[in-house]
Amino acid sequence: MISKNELLGGMRSRDVLAVFAFTLIACAMMQLNKPLGVPIYIISLLLIAIASSFLHKDNLRVAALLAIVLLSAFSIWSNGVKFGIDFSGGVRIPILLEQPVDSVTMEEMVSTIKTRAASFGLTEVKVRPIGDSEIYVELPQSSPQLIKDVEDILSQQGAYQGVVDGKVAITGSEIYSGSIYRVPAQYLQGADWGVSFTVTQAGANNFAQVALGKANYPLYMFLDRPQNAIIVINESELMAGAKKQLTPVSRAKALELVASAMALEGDNITVYVEEDIADNFTLVPKNNKTKAFVTSGSPIAPKLAAAGFDVYERSGEEMTPSYVVQPASPTSDAVTTWKAVGLLSAPRLVASVTEGIPNFGYTINGPAQGDSAIARANDALKKERDLQSLLKGGALPVQITIGSKTIVPAPLGEEFLRLSLIGIAFALAVVSLMVAIRYRNLKIVAPMMFISFAEILIMMAVIGSFTIDLAAMAGILAAIGVSVDAQIIVTDELLKKEEESKKRIDKAFTIITTSVMVAVVAMLPLLLLSGLVEIIGFATSTVLGSLLGLFISRPAYGAIAERIFE
Amino acid sequence: MAFEIPNPYRGNYKLLIIIPLLLVLCSLFIIFLNPQTQIKKGVDFKGGTLITMQANQSVDTQALTAALTKKGFAVSSAKSLQNPKGYEIEVEIERDENLTRAEELKTSFFAQVDEVSRLEADASVPNASSDAISAYAAAKAGIDETSNGIFAIANLPQNAGSVNGTNALKAKVNAAYRGITDENAARLADALSGVVTYESASFNEVSSSLSEKFLEKATSTVLYSTVLVCIVVFLIFKTFVPSAAVLIGAGADVIIALGAMGLFGIPLTLASFAALLMLVGFSLDTDVLLTMRVIKRKEGDARGRAYEAMKTGLTMSMALMLSFICLFILASLTHINTYYEISAVAIAGLVGDVFATWFLNAVILLRHVEKGGHTGESEKGVVSSLFSS
Repeated sequence: MISKNELLGGMRSRDVLAVFAFTLIACAMMQLNKPLGVPIYIISLLLIAIASSFLHKDNLRVAALLAIVLLSAFSIWSNGVKFGIDFSGGVRIPILLEQPVDSVTMEEMVSTIKTRAASFGLTEVKVRPIGDSEIYVELPQSSPQLIKDVEDILSQQGAYQGVVDGKVAITGSEIYSGSIYRVPAQYLQGADWGVSFTVTQAGANNFAQVALGKANYPLYMFLDRPQNAIIVINESELMAGAKKQLTPVSRAKALELVASAMALEGDNITVYVEEDIADNFTLVPKNNKTKAFVTSGSPIAPKLAAAGFDVYERSGEEMTPSYVVQPASPTSDAVTTWKAVGLLSAPRLVASVTEGIPNFGYTINGPAQGDSAIARANDALKKERDLQSLLKGGALPVQITIGSKTIVPAPLGEEFLRLSLIGIAFALAVVSLMVAIRYRNLKIVAPMMFISFAEILIMMAVIGSFTIDLAAMAGILAAIGVSVDAQIIVTDELLKKEEESKKRIDKAFTIITTSVMVAVVAMLPLLLLSGLVEIIGFATSTVLGSLLGLFISRPAYGAIAERIFE
Repeated sequence: MAFEIPNPYRGNYKLLIIIPLLLVLCSLFIIFLNPQTQIKKGVDFKGGTLITMQANQSVDTQALTAALTKKGFAVSSAKSLQNPKGYEIEVEIERDENLTRAEELKTSFFAQVDEVSRLEADASVPNASSDAISAYAAAKAGIDETSNGIFAIANLPQNAGSVNGTNALKAKVNAAYRGITDENAARLADALSGVVTYESASFNEVSSSLSEKFLEKATSTVLYSTVLVCIVVFLIFKTFVPSAAVLIGAGADVIIALGAMGLFGIPLTLASFAALLMLVGFSLDTDVLLTMRVIKRKEGDARGRAYEAMKTGLTMSMALMLSFICLFILASLTHINTYYEISAVAIAGLVGDVFATWFLNAVILLRHVEKGGHTGESEKGVVSSLFSS
């Protein structure tokens, strides 16, 4: 039996105190640094688990379990538990890539989809990569129109437009998409990267005409440039990019640059500064389809909507233009990016393409940034890929298939969640009852149930740090049985009083370790290799349940049970 | 002890093997020979559309089937079930052949178009060689044919040859494909709304290429799992007969679970597939317990040790089964297919496991030990000693 003295002694031991002190510090850090809450939680959990596994001390094992339970409960409170759309309601559209891609390409695809979704006004869309060959697009609410919009974004290409001094010099339909390629290093002639492409006869003629005499002018390259629109930018957004320049850019200069970047014959996007128009609001839309781009949450947004504008709210980052200014050549001063209106790049025209002679092949090149050679090479690669994607109208670098859509109405999802949680509680109760009938000993049943409950809590916190979907929930429920199973092995082994208890515990652990290994190995290919994201949640919770048991709760139960049977 | 089961290994225990063998044979008959009970593939593996609608009232599924059939859809199943927020109407329709064909053509078009566009660029520059021009013409003729295939399905004039340039053709093909899918969706919505007034509808659409991908990945996952599990089991037990017995037990269990899937009409979906993999783990759990206790221990005789293992094993199976029964009850309240498929497969497999472990694996193992094959070796396996205290 555990005596009071032993308990107090155990609590006073230095390791135990250290574990609890560590837990408290981890909790405080989670609370103080909310954005990093999840990593802090996971790392702390791992550290405690490792410490308790390597230091073979019974009181430490029990303390580690308690500490992890505390930590997990705190994480649920502080970081929250994320539920998939099965439980929170919404739409999920999986996108399957024809072939696996590396992380750079994946990042690029996710950002392309986000950019394009934003240009459709879909700002609440969540886009997240799943493994190396799938992307989830999730919408918090479901309407057929929204779903259709997302599908449009994914299946259709955007419109590329190149503008020189307020005139369209080139469009995506004039570029042979198959001719867009990265310039090999030996032909770069000093630049760090280059993308080359061929245009049609009509494109060549038009470009020659528009670019005539515009040497050093920027070629403003847009993806899905909004038509019939205005943009309302605030003072700090206007000047944020200006402050990053070596040569200071005055407010007047910044205004001049954004105005010229937004100029297009017959379809200027007029730029307003929020602070200038706030007090004396007199803007009137040209017609009922005029769009107004504005920082999300800006007080001016409702006024614009009231005035009859079609308001598109954009994040501060998207609303912030960046500039390039060179005192030596003022004509090449330009706004280089302004995502809110689809301005993604602004290369400078070299003199040779501005002489009025139709030219079929073009190359855009430039320098790369970075501290090391590798960083510069990566930057060059990224710039080339971004540019290729832009010229192809935001086309994704690999072919995609739209997977099976799942739509869950929010009230139904909440009801599913409620019932599932009741189901877990019910399963815990039923399994406890069975164990109680089998062993008829509260001293055995109580710790068993506490440990099963602890495991469910830990799994909720860990998987909930990412996403709990239906499959993961089923796995968590199954973990109750798995958790009790291993404890049954320990208990039955200890009930045989033939040898000393340490040896019997060892025997039980040999069996448990073996079965955990086999169970994990059977699930591992599904978890790591299959890419079947629809059921990866299940594999994750099954494997996690087994591992948690092996490293944390079984040792703790062993330590408790050994004393109970003495 | 609350319940005492007689020791089945006293007496002529060899006869016990008949029960699991019969179960396995029945299961094999169910899966392979009887066409009515063959395992149904769910939409994940078969392709098709699973429509789940949430409605306030129940729906006459026959009328729904008739309405869909009239609009040209092949209905594989239609169900109307009560759930916490009213009724869930679930209809499964087969993949439309035109859609499948259009999808294939579109994939093939986009696989070729970049290359053709590059040839077009080469052919369009001033002073292009005649080789470049004829190469482009040949390539363009190829994708024109593919495009015309899509136009035909979309009921559009098959005039790809007169479309100038790949960029324009690409736009037309995209529009035509979109037209095909839109028409299909509109026709489907039309057929549904005539019969059901639904609050929300979820279309789980699995194209044939997607279902093929699922099937391929599932197959490779099974292969990897099997190989890994075999390696681990042999590493742990190091001798042939016990390892083989453990694997035969697990194999029999999976076959029995598959038989139950055929018998009770549980479809093979990604969820039930995951449950089958989990079952391998559960099944090996009791097999490992049995083998460890019988082979690597010395107390009493082998039959006694097998019997003791059985008592522990049955308690374990009971605990697992109870958790999955809870999940099954949850599934019947909510009609969440994922829950239903996982719990049903797990329950069937756990029942099968009782027979496969204690009547099949145990018998093979006891025969092996009593013939003097192997007993009383050191307690620890190679790898497991790393973890034990």
